Amino acid sequence: MRNPLYLLFGVSLLALAGMKTYSGTPLFASKVNEAKVVPRTVRDNPGAYRSIYGVYPHYVGGK
Amino acid sequence: MTPASSGARIAGAQVKGLNCPSCGGALTVRGFEHTVSVVCPQCLCILDAKDPNLQILQKFKDKTRVTLLIPLGSRGIWQGTVYEVIGYQQRTTGEGAETYSWSEYLLFNPYKGFRYFTEYNGHWNDVRTLRALPKPAFGIGAKQRLQYAGATFTHFSTAQAATTYVLGEFPWQVRRGEKVAAKDYIAPPKILSSESTTAETTWSLGEYASGEEIWKAFKLQGVAPKPSGVYLNQPSPLVQKSKDLWRLGRTFLLIAFALLLAGFVIAPNEKVFSDSYHFTSGAGAEASFVTPVFTFKGRATNVEIATRTDLNNNWAYFNYALINDDTGQTYDFGREVSYYSGRDSDGAWSEGSSGDSVTIPDIPSGRYYLRVEPEVAPGVSRLDYSITVHRGVPVQSWFWLVSLLLLAPPLYMTFRRFSFERQRWQDSDYAVSSSSGDDD
Repeated sequence: MRNPLYLLFGVSLLALAGMKTYSGTPLFASKVNEAKVVPRTVRDNPGAYRSIYGVYPHYVGGK
Repeated sequence: MTPASSGARIAGAQVKGLNCPSCGGALTVRGFEHTVSVVCPQCLCILDAKDPNLQILQKFKDKTRVTLLIPLGSRGIWQGTVYEVIGYQQRTTGEGAETYSWSEYLLFNPYKGFRYFTEYNGHWNDVRTLRALPKPAFGIGAKQRLQYAGATFTHFSTAQAATTYVLGEFPWQVRRGEKVAAKDYIAPPKILSSESTTAETTWSLGEYASGEEIWKAFKLQGVAPKPSGVYLNQPSPLVQKSKDLWRLGRTFLLIAFALLLAGFVIAPNEKVFSDSYHFTSGAGAEASFVTPVFTFKGRATNVEIATRTDLNNNWAYFNYALINDDTGQTYDFGREVSYYSGRDSDGAWSEGSSGDSVTIPDIPSGRYYLRVEPEVAPGVSRLDYSITVHRGVPVQSWFWLVSLLLLAPPLYMTFRRFSFERQRWQDSDYAVSSSSGDDD
């Protein structure tokens, strides 16, 4: 084995890529907030839910 | 960088006594009848060993001595044969401050004859004279090529070399100041050299040798000087490393590509929800709504939520919440969609996109629905859009990243390999100047 470091490096990368490909994890995942406690009433009253991203600064650009 | 011309070789030594006729110092002759010239170790006079009276061929006022790395008389077993170091000469090439010198040690075995060790800056070569002439070879580029013993040698340099110091004995009439036109051709680790005088041309073949091996073979004290710089026929240690890395790298890339294909095969890539909506602004109207429940089956995997709009020169913002109907687990995120286009003095332009997609990793199976809360720019009265949810979409990005990272070590080794070769050829007749040149 002439290149043990490269072999280890390559195998590690391929294993990582294999796992990520299998799980379907994108390389650059979008920022998502996970919340555990959301009442079932959201379905009945969607307006009662307050989004984490409700105050996101909107783009008003264009050339 | 090869042994001096042997054209002056003549009949064997016929010395009567072994004392220098100049200083009376004792002489030692190790080369028997092969010795033609012998140098007095005391006064450095060069004597004619074929002359019974040891005629003085050259005499010097300058008694400056060169320290020999391998002392004369050293014996060692080299390539299975016992050799004795019987002569030493220093050769110099160049002019003014641009001169450099190398050493040549003459080795002798009564049955095998002569061979030479050359040394420059800690780099050693084991050299033997050729009995056959090399043949011209064809090649691309301006460099002349020669063929010998199945190897193709490339011209490296042509220079005039002068003998600047001698000690010991030689099978030819050696002279200080003797000049030859030396040409070197390389096929690392081998070197083919020619030395030409007006009378003849002598060819020799050298092979790069390690100082440690020579020290070991001749049982020399201390350690061999550490090589400095890159020598013209020094074998590059990076060639094999580079080849090995590329071989392994190719295998890795093939595996990475197979993983990419396998990802497409095993990914469910299932459309679980799709619907179209339109947003109408109005005072007091509730913008948020929820979609019908849809089901994710199977293992935990990613979910892609794509939004397509009819936006033009405007923006919209979507507050999304992917909610598990059974557990309440919520994945909350916002996506902005903006698309602007027009025409100005530079021509047509566009910016952004009227669609968007987001991939959320590791979503477990279960029953889900989306809570959607669209926002639009003030003054926009209507927005048509659609939402599509896919589960288990194939991911390619890891393949590209891993491929790039896998290529990095072989590419770096190739860069180092070419740097080594560039350094080798810097001392040749074909060196590429890195400076723009000085006027003076």
